[in-house]
Amino acid sequence: MLKVEGLNVSYGDLQVLWDVSFEVKEGEIVVLLGANGAGKSTTLKTVSSLVKPTVGSVEFLGVRLDRIPSHEVINYGLAHVPEGRRLFPDMTVEENLIVGSLTREAKSKRKKTLEWLYDIFPRLRERIKQPTGTLSGGEQQMVAIARGLMSLPKLIMFDEPSLGLAPIMVTEIFKVVEMVNREGVTVLLVEQNVHHTLAMCDRAYVLENGRITLSGTGEEFLNNDHIKEAYLGI
Amino acid sequence: MEVFLQTLVAGVLKGGLYALIGLGMTLIMGVMGIINLAHGQFMMVAMYITYALFHFFGLDPYTTLIISMPSLFLLGVLIQKYLLNPLMKVESILPENQVLMTVGIAMVLTEIARFIFSSNYLSVRTSYSSSAFYVGGISFSVALTVAFGFTCFLTISLFWFLIKTDLGRSIRAVSQDSEAAELMGIDSGRIKVITMGIGAGLVAAAGTLLLPIYYLFPDIGGPFTRKAFIITILGGLGSTVGAIFGGLTLGLAESFGATYIGMDFEDLVGLVIFLLVLLFIPGGFRRFTKV
Repeated sequence: MLKVEGLNVSYGDLQVLWDVSFEVKEGEIVVLLGANGAGKSTTLKTVSSLVKPTVGSVEFLGVRLDRIPSHEVINYGLAHVPEGRRLFPDMTVEENLIVGSLTREAKSKRKKTLEWLYDIFPRLRERIKQPTGTLSGGEQQMVAIARGLMSLPKLIMFDEPSLGLAPIMVTEIFKVVEMVNREGVTVLLVEQNVHHTLAMCDRAYVLENGRITLSGTGEEFLNNDHIKEAYLGI
Repeated sequence: MEVFLQTLVAGVLKGGLYALIGLGMTLIMGVMGIINLAHGQFMMVAMYITYALFHFFGLDPYTTLIISMPSLFLLGVLIQKYLLNPLMKVESILPENQVLMTVGIAMVLTEIARFIFSSNYLSVRTSYSSSAFYVGGISFSVALTVAFGFTCFLTISLFWFLIKTDLGRSIRAVSQDSEAAELMGIDSGRIKVITMGIGAGLVAAAGTLLLPIYYLFPDIGGPFTRKAFIITILGGLGSTVGAIFGGLTLGLAESFGATYIGMDFEDLVGLVIFLLVLLFIPGGFRRFTKV
């Protein structure tokens, strides 16, 4: 479904990704693991064309995403829930969700999608008219996820959705990610939270210093000595 | 007491027009992140359009709104698309250079106006230019009252547009987080072009509405760019509701300054208020509005 091949990305003179290749198949949950500064967010930004690679290609359902402007990516069914949530703080919960459904198809189904999402996130229904800047971190993350789903994507990318949240919220957010996947949306998840993610994912990749160093199924990862040492602290 | 009320009315009516000038500048500030230093010059161009239509075709100044506003919308669109957006594509160019570009545009517009109309003072005299009606002993200038009515209508329309339509929501989204807006499928380059058009169209309305009670010469843009700048700062850079308060504050300050201190001190009082706000409520009126 999503095929990333040989990505090299630089910010000015500083190269941050070297020959990054990975694949996401339809229906999967794929996790991209890595420490701070490993290049995870840059990888997702390159997939959504916010950052252009110097070498390499991003192909999604046969379309070269690296060749189109970033605002057109969502039209092909790929949503990106960015790191740090990046909500529109002075707009209400509902307005944020509406802005998530500007593509033609999503717009025609806007009312139905909103109802569906309010059923999944009852807490957002209570806060419809509240500016998102005044919500708690966990609620903001829910708005961010819901806003990503408003475009009715085929694949949704989450960039560290558990960042800065209380442990109970983290569990809840990962439940939501699994549920989104059960609804038929393919998931590409970037995380540092190894415990939760490896248990629920189909496959995983490890990104270290801008290079993919390891790939395999979630189970293989949980038994891998390097992973145990570096990420699970066992 | 009567003098006080009279001053208050005059200040509010004038403040309405200032709000209209400030709203356009504020929208541009919010979306582009730059101060448009050609804002008063846009207004000057609209005033000349109104003058020319009145002088050569005998159109009523208020009727010319339907020509001056779309013309300036188009001028704003073209300037953003071909002069300002290209500057953003070059990474080594700081946003400040877009501000310098607007200064250049301001000069070019002023000199074109001087070339066509010369530096002479012009005015549009209509039957209602100096007439007034009285409510309880307080006089209301007909032209200013009509202008205030148009201003209210345009302001309400603008807010309806920003809150209720997808395009309006997209404009707000870009001004709050343009990268996140890109991810939502919003073409921020296109939004910037449209916003500059709307900002220019709004200040065009202010210019056209002001002309029957004012005078016109090519350099009139400068003082109004300064006023727009003050209003935007008072309102808290990028807050639309703040801009309305900023406009009213400046209008009232000038009005009371003229009545109680002296006509010559009108602008001075506005600037003193500006400094006081900067000193004591930095961030302007935005903290009271949250919109």
